Amino acid sequence: MRSPNIRSPALLKLVAVVVTVGFAFPAGYLVWRNFTFSSDPLGVLFSQRTRGPLFRTLRLAVLVSASTAVLGTALAWLTTRCDIPLKRLWLVLLPLPLVFPTFIGAAALIRTLNPGGLLTDWLNNVGLNWDVEMRGLFGAWLALTLFTYPYVYLPVAARLRRLPGSAEETARLLGNGPLTIIGRVVLPQTATAISAGTLLVFLYAISDFGAVQLMRYDTLSRAIYTTRLNNQPVSLTLSVILLMLAAVVVLVERSATRRFEVAAPVRSRRPVVYRLGRAKPAAVAFLAAAVALSFVGPLASLGDWAVDGIKLDASGGRDLLVGWDDVWSPTWNTAFGSVVAAVVAVAAVLPAAYLVVRYRSRIGTVANAVIVSSFALPGILIGLALLFWTLKTDVGSHLRNTLVLLVFAYVVRFGGQTMRTSQVAVSAVSSRLTDAARTLGAGWLRRFRSLELPLMAPGLLAGGGLVMLSVMKELPITLLIAPFGFPTLTTKAFNSIEEAFVAEAGVWSGVLVVLSGVLTWLFVVRRADHFD
Amino acid sequence: MSFDETTPPLLAIDGLHKSFGATKVLDDFNLTLHSGEMLSLLGPSGCGKTTLLRLIAGLEQADQGMISLDGSAVDGGRAWVRPEGRHVGMVFQDWALFPHLDVAGNVGYGVPRRQRAVEVTKTLELVNLPGMQSRTPDTLSGGQQQRVALARALAPKPTVLLLDEPFSNLDAALRRDVRTEVRELLRDAEMTAVFVTHDREEALVLGDRVAVMNAGRIVQTGTPAQIYQHPATPWAAAFVGAVSLYPAVAAGDVAEADFGPIPLLDSARGPVEVAVRPENVDLRAGDGEHVVDNYEYRGPDAMVTVASPTGVLLHARVSGMNSLALGDRVSPVYSGPPAAAFTRPEAGS
Repeated sequence: MRSPNIRSPALLKLVAVVVTVGFAFPAGYLVWRNFTFSSDPLGVLFSQRTRGPLFRTLRLAVLVSASTAVLGTALAWLTTRCDIPLKRLWLVLLPLPLVFPTFIGAAALIRTLNPGGLLTDWLNNVGLNWDVEMRGLFGAWLALTLFTYPYVYLPVAARLRRLPGSAEETARLLGNGPLTIIGRVVLPQTATAISAGTLLVFLYAISDFGAVQLMRYDTLSRAIYTTRLNNQPVSLTLSVILLMLAAVVVLVERSATRRFEVAAPVRSRRPVVYRLGRAKPAAVAFLAAAVALSFVGPLASLGDWAVDGIKLDASGGRDLLVGWDDVWSPTWNTAFGSVVAAVVAVAAVLPAAYLVVRYRSRIGTVANAVIVSSFALPGILIGLALLFWTLKTDVGSHLRNTLVLLVFAYVVRFGGQTMRTSQVAVSAVSSRLTDAARTLGAGWLRRFRSLELPLMAPGLLAGGGLVMLSVMKELPITLLIAPFGFPTLTTKAFNSIEEAFVAEAGVWSGVLVVLSGVLTWLFVVRRADHFD
Repeated sequence: MSFDETTPPLLAIDGLHKSFGATKVLDDFNLTLHSGEMLSLLGPSGCGKTTLLRLIAGLEQADQGMISLDGSAVDGGRAWVRPEGRHVGMVFQDWALFPHLDVAGNVGYGVPRRQRAVEVTKTLELVNLPGMQSRTPDTLSGGQQQRVALARALAPKPTVLLLDEPFSNLDAALRRDVRTEVRELLRDAEMTAVFVTHDREEALVLGDRVAVMNAGRIVQTGTPAQIYQHPATPWAAAFVGAVSLYPAVAAGDVAEADFGPIPLLDSARGPVEVAVRPENVDLRAGDGEHVVDNYEYRGPDAMVTVASPTGVLLHARVSGMNSLALGDRVSPVYSGPPAAAFTRPEAGS
């Protein structure tokens, strides 16, 4: 029995309040600065300069959302509910596009599918004429679709796998055919997962910086980046617009989850499997094309760049501008930054998770809302806010070019990802167990060390792993506020792509993809209870 | 019983109040417990039993009133001793074993590091689980988990042991064996213990003394026999065992019911309700004023309900060999020890 009038420790509340203020700081600073410093904010707000990027952002995000919803759901359906051959292989491969930061994926697409690219040559040899240029809306749309569909695929596949077969069998007994059953029974029960995943993709699309920058599609985030130095009022105003857009998505997300919240059904027998029959070859070809475009192709072109460069270097052509030190130092920086950010994020979020789960405190509820919502805050905004803050204020100037600031930004950007896993972890420690430990004479420190921490460890590790993965792939924050002497794999790769040092880009991207591949395997693929 | 009632009690609870929000859980609760005594706390679910244990352990704080352990106040007035400083052992309903620790880690959790290995071995022998140190809780049977939970609570040698429905998670057959074993074990260890249960048989078997509790207050305390044979209120009579509250007219040590006399524990006069236990009623077949209204065959015995001419029901436990049928006419005869009688409220003076 949980007693409702248990009081939460004051220290815990204090820490949670401080953390919450920290999470709210970048967004708050942006808004405050915009309306106190920039001249004529409203004028900028409704000018042509802002309407164009806003429109492009929305158009891109809507298109990407629609295509990922269809693609992700179709892939999930084929791999969980159909008698597709090589099922395990697809299950392993399909989430893997997550290993690519979108800018690396976009660069790879450009190199493979542009006129003169790897795949284009091959297609032309086969006799197919392909001369679409990878840039602008089409390029950005394709890149984002291919590299973000797992955000739809993973939750939908999980949901489809858990749907009890009894409803579908009942519908069949009542005389419905497979298509009717899918439309009337399966899709309505999967709608929550599809919409949740799609919303995530929408958010990803409005905040993406890497793909739109390389595809030269002038969305809000790219416009913010390009105007940040020479036209700060515009940059700030665009930021506030993007911020409001993200806020709208969060509000929609909140009301949607509230409305659709359904108790998870009891896990039943294996789900109903549908026979593909004569459609099987087409289905396999579809899966193969998705994997080829979103994973194998980009991987191959990264390898191709690196190998090309190394060969050129060895044969006495252009020197490869990368030595071992140049690989080692950004790799170390990337690993170090992401581990530190993950540890700090888990530690920062845990007090709020405690307040929510164990004490049901009001401060906990507010902290939870702020921390979780901050996952919607585009990285470019956090980076820009902190950059301006260090440039314009005395307090901030002490933190300019420091790791502390960078880690803080990472934590604000990705800390929300650990909230759910942390809450699950905290609730895994039943109050009965801590009660038992208390009656056995254990004070809070010993309880935390010997009981709570070991029991929470798997959950905390899972949350930390997600943060590590995200930080590793992060581009805009790192680009804007990483200390000068702190090159990471993403900034190195991004800069060499922008400067067309293709071979170097291949090396750094390759290392990054291997690292994020390991983490994706550990914390996304394996944990999505993907194989049963 | 053999407790020295003149020494100060080991556990004293005085005027305890506890509410959760608007719900009063404990309402002016009083209780004392002497060293070596085993008390069963019997009450329906939701009567505040578990809350009382949590208050004694310090897992909740009282709104008002006083709890003293071994002569010093631990809760109430200005006193407040945290649970980790009270030396009170507790066995939880779901046992609350630490899932990430093995048996030795669980049992030794409350023991100082230096004595840990020795105490764990000793306690595991005490609860009949020798050599189980390195097993993990999830590989143990329900009965074994129960004993590990008991061992864990006993190992630090607590002043008082509190057991919250300790057997309710075991299946019926196992429960009977384990509870006998636990009783012997605690008695051998001269442990002072409070059992909380809603199972009347368990309460009677386990307690040297039984406290019957309802709605946050103690209704009656006494030896198991006193509780059963001499219930303080009609509610207690019914809660402790099957009973018929049969109308009769008392005249001193005997009450006259419509089927015959019933000897009374305490003399009374006027209209009363007598608490008649089913096993104290014999039914004579043949002509009688009472008619068999219900017949439940239970193997060794049968529970028969007969109706008086005025429609009052009387329960009787008869041998299973009996061959009564619905509608048979019988004459009940009271054949037990003196019974408790309560003044009938509607009868006025």
